[in-house]
Amino acid sequence: ENSPAPLPERAIYGFALFLGSWFGFMLYLIWAYVPETWLFSLGLTYWPQKYWAVALPAYLLVAIGIGYILLFGINMMSTAPLNSTHTITDNYAKKQQQKKFQEEAIPALRDIPISEVNRMFFLPEK
Amino acid sequence: MEERPYRSASGAPIALRCRQHSASCRELVVRCPRLQLRSLSAVTSAVWLAAYALFVLSENSMVLSAAIFITLIGLIIYLHFVKIDQESLLVIGSLGIQVTSSYASGKESTTFIEMGQVKDVVINEAIHMQKVVYYLCILLQDPGDPQGVSEVVPLFQSSKPRLDCLIEVYKSCQEILEQRKTALQSS
Repeated sequence: ENSPAPLPERAIYGFALFLGSWFGFMLYLIWAYVPETWLFSLGLTYWPQKYWAVALPAYLLVAIGIGYILLFGINMMSTAPLNSTHTITDNYAKKQQQKKFQEEAIPALRDIPISEVNRMFFLPEK
Repeated sequence: MEERPYRSASGAPIALRCRQHSASCRELVVRCPRLQLRSLSAVTSAVWLAAYALFVLSENSMVLSAAIFITLIGLIIYLHFVKIDQESLLVIGSLGIQVTSSYASGKESTTFIEMGQVKDVVINEAIHMQKVVYYLCILLQDPGDPQGVSEVVPLFQSSKPRLDCLIEVYKSCQEILEQRKTALQSS
């Protein structure tokens, strides 16, 4: 039912978006380049200042550049500090239920406490 | 009681000394590398050359005296608040754990955690500034929940020993902490 294969409806949406984006681009070029007096003579007076035709792309590019740095910074801020319990456990691990141990069966999947993991790794088995 | 050389996470040489005071008391001291003369002279000459360049540009001799003042004050602040000489961990089986940091100026800062609050001493690995680091930490018991951890106290944050040194310290601590468990079971 939900497959990414091409469908006639999707082709129509795509063509409509294509025409719409070309129209938008032509409108932007007309607004940016055609002198104000020509537009006024046609009766089109209530358009934004041409200043924005340069300012908006500049804002967009600077925002994209800052976005890279911002994403990096947000990642670093959401990393748990070394003294927080989130480096050891979380809500799902605290609320997990212990399944009963069955003979001859593989033990159930669970979040092993860090003390047990340390003992297994670093204390040699005698 | 001899000192064994290890490396810190950044490659600097550190030394670990393990002293056994009694059957249930052990002291582990990690000594950080001393302040290097070459880094001190590099920073001092950089600051003084920059100040001299400013003096040549501005003809103001206050810049030179300000540079000397800043260098001296900066060095004193660094030695007293930042540069750690050694970090030690004293584990007393029935009493608690004491963590001491000695600064290069002689200042010592101590923290004591009593044994009732200590759940375990483990080696944890966590992400720190685009790196995954191993560090030793004390897990404090949550008073309401016997399985829970209320707080994590990281140790050796300035000397940052590598995993081989941490395993030695971990084994020493676990020997003392196990005595606590056998004492609990027998009583």
